[in-house]
Amino acid sequence: MLNQPILSVKAVQKIYPNGTVALRNTSFDVACETIHGLIGANGAGKSTLIKILSGVIPASNGQIIWRGTSRMWQSPADASANGISTIHQHIPLAPTLSVRENVFLASAHPWRNSRSERERFEQLLASIGYSIDPDILVGDLPIGQRQMVSILQALASEARLLIMDEPTASLSEHERSVVFDAIRRLRDNHGTSVLFISHFLDEIMELCQHVTVLRDGVVVLDQPRDQIDERKLVVAIVGKETSLEVKRPTVSRDTLPLLEVHELASPDRIDGVDLLVRAGEIVGLAGLFGSGRSEILHAIYGADTRATGTVKIDGRPIGRSIPAALAAGIVLVPEDRIQQALFVNESIRWNASLPNSRAICTMNVLPVARKEKRRADDIISTFSVVAANSDIAVGELSGGNAQKIALSRAITADWRVLLLDEPTAGVDIGAKADIHRAIAALAAAGAAVIVAISDFEELLAFCDRVFVIASGRIIAERRPANTTEHELTALAGGLTA
Amino acid sequence: MALNIETVRRRTKLPRADGRLKSFSLGEAGIYYALAIIWIVLEICTQFLGVPNFLDPANLANIFYQSSFVAIIAVPMTLVLISGNFDLSVAATAAISAACVLLLSDVVGIYPAMVISLIAGAFIGLVNAAIVQGLGINAFIVTLATMTALRGVLLIITGGHTASANDRELTLPLKAIENGIWVLPNLWWCAGAVVLASSAFAWWQKSHRQLLLMAVGIVLFAIGFYFDASWALAKPVYYMAAITAITYAVTRFTIVGRRLQAVGANSEAARLIGINVNRYRVVPFVLNGLAAAFVGLLFAARIGAVLPNAMTGMELTVIAAAILGGTSLFGGSGNVLKSVAGVVVIYSLINGFDILGLGTSYQGVIEGVVLIIAAAIYTVGRRRKQA
Repeated sequence: MLNQPILSVKAVQKIYPNGTVALRNTSFDVACETIHGLIGANGAGKSTLIKILSGVIPASNGQIIWRGTSRMWQSPADASANGISTIHQHIPLAPTLSVRENVFLASAHPWRNSRSERERFEQLLASIGYSIDPDILVGDLPIGQRQMVSILQALASEARLLIMDEPTASLSEHERSVVFDAIRRLRDNHGTSVLFISHFLDEIMELCQHVTVLRDGVVVLDQPRDQIDERKLVVAIVGKETSLEVKRPTVSRDTLPLLEVHELASPDRIDGVDLLVRAGEIVGLAGLFGSGRSEILHAIYGADTRATGTVKIDGRPIGRSIPAALAAGIVLVPEDRIQQALFVNESIRWNASLPNSRAICTMNVLPVARKEKRRADDIISTFSVVAANSDIAVGELSGGNAQKIALSRAITADWRVLLLDEPTAGVDIGAKADIHRAIAALAAAGAAVIVAISDFEELLAFCDRVFVIASGRIIAERRPANTTEHELTALAGGLTA
Repeated sequence: MALNIETVRRRTKLPRADGRLKSFSLGEAGIYYALAIIWIVLEICTQFLGVPNFLDPANLANIFYQSSFVAIIAVPMTLVLISGNFDLSVAATAAISAACVLLLSDVVGIYPAMVISLIAGAFIGLVNAAIVQGLGINAFIVTLATMTALRGVLLIITGGHTASANDRELTLPLKAIENGIWVLPNLWWCAGAVVLASSAFAWWQKSHRQLLLMAVGIVLFAIGFYFDASWALAKPVYYMAAITAITYAVTRFTIVGRRLQAVGANSEAARLIGINVNRYRVVPFVLNGLAAAFVGLLFAARIGAVLPNAMTGMELTVIAAAILGGTSLFGGSGNVLKSVAGVVVIYSLINGFDILGLGTSYQGVIEGVVLIIAAAIYTVGRRRKQA
């Protein structure tokens, strides 16, 4: 029994209806009673794989062999009834119920407060060596303890395989070690297998017995932990892709700084950031999810009302509000285009008319149809947007084209400073090149550009300098010529290079 | 990637093919169809039963007059809904304003009393907005509370009795605002002038429709020389028309309207683009309070006395009309013209049933059924659009 894997993924493929290929040909085994690490860059197909394993979406092709038989889950309930329990990144607990009620949420017991449930709860706690008040409301718990509640929940459902999607993304050092202890005990005392997904290399190295690396929907590394070192892992994650190098003029170090940031700080987000950017320079922020790179951009833009510190343009300090930043020529393209940038029910033209609306209006309030149209056409040609005309609702565009519309505010005026948060998120390689070219052109025209991109290879391809961000601080500054993607990945992942 | 582009092309071609027809679709223009159908059905019924004709100009003028009070509030209410908020306190605000103007007319004179009432209404709107935006409490809860509190204030200032002016002579200027009619001289010319004005706007915007509009305008003027159809309408109908026209123009043609929609549709994106979200959420509330106070003045002028429970339930009629007009309760979309059409639908039904002698008992039932049908059409229509 021990020799047979608990879960076998065999040649699984996933092609989404819009044509995106998320998983090409993915095969690996999860052995019984092991902690199995799964790692990969953004867009490598991790989340698609988790969704397939937990029954959220079906695979397009291939087999999932669960405890010796080939299965296709009909629904998440189907998967969990068969012993696969998934803890998603955003923990879906009921905040108004107590810890105990959450742990036994799925059980069919008719009474809310039964004695046997309390006894079971004590047993569960004892088995993983943890203690928590069963009657406290989940809404009152810090995030780390909520993570423990969802582990207990999985335990109560008698899962044979526990899938954990970045469980430590928002945990403190101490909370993390508690969670790790619980995971180890879960394996040792219950014989549960764990599929542990993380961005953090050091965690994977510390916790897992076997590691699988996904890249572009294919397994590129699948070996026991003892045969892997950090360097091997980084190479596997990053791989080698088409070059995105853009030829750009170098900016002299004598040029006066255009943007200066001093002592930028914000409670729990940013911790004393100093940087300066010259006109024509493209500066990259390299950091993992949650490292504070978006928060730094928001704080420079004045969007973070709790932020303190000074931001200077041409040596003159500017007010700490969005209108003041815009007036000084700073513009932000936020990371999440659907939540933060676009109005999906409105047309391209409508969306394009909002930033710097004065330029397309007479008397500051009446939009002039032909100016609006010219701006929209300009955007469509600059970024090579694929759209029949500018009256199409942005929500009907593909992700890459919608991203270009979100970016379009960068060309609505002669902005002096561009803050671009993940400007190429979710776009294919061709669109990426379009976007890089447009950004390089804006820099060449004299703008200072700060970009945050989680793909470090891309970052190195067109930045003049790169700042590595971790825990809301700049921990290193590198020039592309003097660094490698591996070094950046290691630095941002908390390893010393 | 080739596949991707093809899919996008195929998708994006659809809206172009029926782009112009879209504004006539059931989901977009449903309220106008509903109004047309209701009018025709009621006209046929009245003809058949031999009672006074429903579509008689005098009766239509009457329907507009009946609609005007609710419509004047429905316009700014639509703005509040577009911005993503909600206001239940309008009827109570109107009642307060009506009581204020009647009780204060003896004390400070009628004109200052009117000004004070309007300021009170705007102030109530400001308080609502300050609580909603400042403390971040849900607007439904806040305005439910202010509605209840304002009814209490009304009981206190009226002592639970009917409020009326001691000196009726003093309120004559107030009556003059509400009472009486103005005659639209030549309907064809009026319509022609409106069409020509929009033609001029289209010309300025370099839209392709300018010539068509100009032709229609000239034809309407020409007809006016042969047919002289004048129409006597009550004064509040003109107020309603003016408020609707101005608000419609602002929301439809200016960047202000777009920003309002942006704030309601995605407030975080609106904030990051540099829009003052608070301002765009507070001003609709203030306008709503102001409009409610104005309706309170009209009410006081029409009735001459105010009971503490005057206009109870009107806030729901106002919101029902906005929903009939397709305004989203979640913010981000709405059209003041359609909200006014929604008011006219409701009062057409009430008026028609009066003529047909069906009695008031059925009004509530019919109003409820119509609301459900309208909401169903919009919901299903939107779902289909998404699929």
